[in-house]
Amino acid sequence: MKPLKILVIDDELVICSGCRMILSDLGHTVDTCKTCKEGLDAIKKGNYHLILLDMKLPDSDGMEVLKTVRVEKSEIYTIVMTGYATIRNAVSAMRLGAFDYLPKPFTDEELVASVERAVKNGAGSGKLQ
Amino acid sequence: MPVCDPAAKYAAFVARISKTDKKRVNITTDIDIHAYYRAFREIIRLVHASTRVDEILELVVWKATELLDAKGAIFRILNLQTEQLELYAAHGLGKKYLEKGPVSSYRIITELCRQNEVIIIDDILGDPRVQYPKEAWEEGIRMILDIPLSLGNHVVGILRIYFSDHREISKDKKNFMVAVAQQCSCAIDKARLIEEQQSRYDKLALQTEKLSSLGRMAAGIAHEINNPLAGILLYSSNMIKKVPEEGPLKEGLDIIVHETIRCRGIIQELLDFSREREPKKTLANINDVIGKALNILENEFRLDHITVETDLSKEMVSSFLDENQMEQVFVNLLINSVEAMDKGGRIGIKTRLGPEKKCMKIEFKDTGCGFPKEALDRIFEPFFSTKAKGTGLGLAVSYGIVENHMGDIRAYSAPGKGASFIIEIPLIRQPPSEQTEGFENEAP
Repeated sequence: MKPLKILVIDDELVICSGCRMILSDLGHTVDTCKTCKEGLDAIKKGNYHLILLDMKLPDSDGMEVLKTVRVEKSEIYTIVMTGYATIRNAVSAMRLGAFDYLPKPFTDEELVASVERAVKNGAGSGKLQ
Repeated sequence: MPVCDPAAKYAAFVARISKTDKKRVNITTDIDIHAYYRAFREIIRLVHASTRVDEILELVVWKATELLDAKGAIFRILNLQTEQLELYAAHGLGKKYLEKGPVSSYRIITELCRQNEVIIIDDILGDPRVQYPKEAWEEGIRMILDIPLSLGNHVVGILRIYFSDHREISKDKKNFMVAVAQQCSCAIDKARLIEEQQSRYDKLALQTEKLSSLGRMAAGIAHEINNPLAGILLYSSNMIKKVPEEGPLKEGLDIIVHETIRCRGIIQELLDFSREREPKKTLANINDVIGKALNILENEFRLDHITVETDLSKEMVSSFLDENQMEQVFVNLLINSVEAMDKGGRIGIKTRLGPEKKCMKIEFKDTGCGFPKEALDRIFEPFFSTKAKGTGLGLAVSYGIVENHMGDIRAYSAPGKGASFIIEIPLIRQPPSEQTEGFENEAP
């Protein structure tokens, strides 16, 4: 799999570090942050191919990150993670341009499969900003 | 409702009546036709104005004692649950005598009602209808007048009047007491009906709120538990790859992964059961759904003197919607309106088709107490309530339901100006698309 630059935004440190460990093992570069604000700053500064985004963040709704990505960095693929696994949430996230939806808790294989699907669909092939 | 201290209760009652209604209650010992008329008018006024049986019966025992120049009087009313005759009101009798227990048995009262006439007990020490003859005699009781209280063929209680001497009771006086007793029976019947309705209504409201709380609690707990579970599952499923194919480490990790996935299943089931369900949409006319909601609360409107005016569009067509959920929304709005109007009022309900028949508009309006702007901003928030006893979930749930129908609900109000809620829902003539189901299958 082509190495990607991935950003994980989740206020649960265990999830951030778990995702980083799994994805680093596959050769990807992974950064993590805990809040919506930190996430938005990192997205503006960094050249990420893929974002793993928790929908419930301490300072704001994950939807805000989705909107910003869609408007400012539309080549970035986003995979939404949430403990509120409702179809309605998933539909709203997809409407705002999320590529996939991972209901928590998920396994190593489920996470890897979702990232692989994103790569197959073109994540990392667009021009980086 | 037993009377613990009749003397204190009576004193409080006299104080209350004389404070608010000095002119109307004429305490007199003159037994003339005018006194009877005044007393009767007073009793009837209270029967119609008050829903408190004890208040009415207190007035009656007092008036009966005064008008008949008796020693005292009591009311015993049949408790439908325990089938016991309970003391409801007493006047002029000593605490010692009242505390003795039931002064008349169920059998005696049934007998009284079977005969359905006023009975005079002259022989206090010898008549079997006197439960405690010795104590009655010591109390100074020499004659008793029993008047049955019945509704249809059912016994509801007894009015017993005590005299300190033997005397003739004229036919007119007996007729007067029978008429008063009939009024009391009506008051008891009315109070029981109100009590029944109130308990049905409370149950309904409690059930709705309980379900909503459960759903919200489950969603909150699921989120909190899913996060730590995500950590366990991510690490354990990753470590499996890094340990030898066979051996105790792999075996242990397999168990951790398996059990965590089992937890995930349990939480998902809990959510499926209790969270706000996805609507089950069928073709229905919103006017009919409103009609059903109004039927549920029909008695509430009547008892609270609330007029409901409906202006339902004749052009309204059926649309795909979840009838039960929409009915829940309307019941929630109506209950709020009922509770905002403590002295009667009006509820207006209007339905209209939107431009090009693309949506429908439903408006609920009341003449209740309304709410301030600060409340208006938060009115749909879970656990926010303007009511002392509200849990703040009714409108939050309603909001979720309308949103599930791709619609919109808005509130308008000002203190003392009533409140109105406008719901707009798209009119869907075709079965809902399978877009969401398609996505659900795609989700990992």
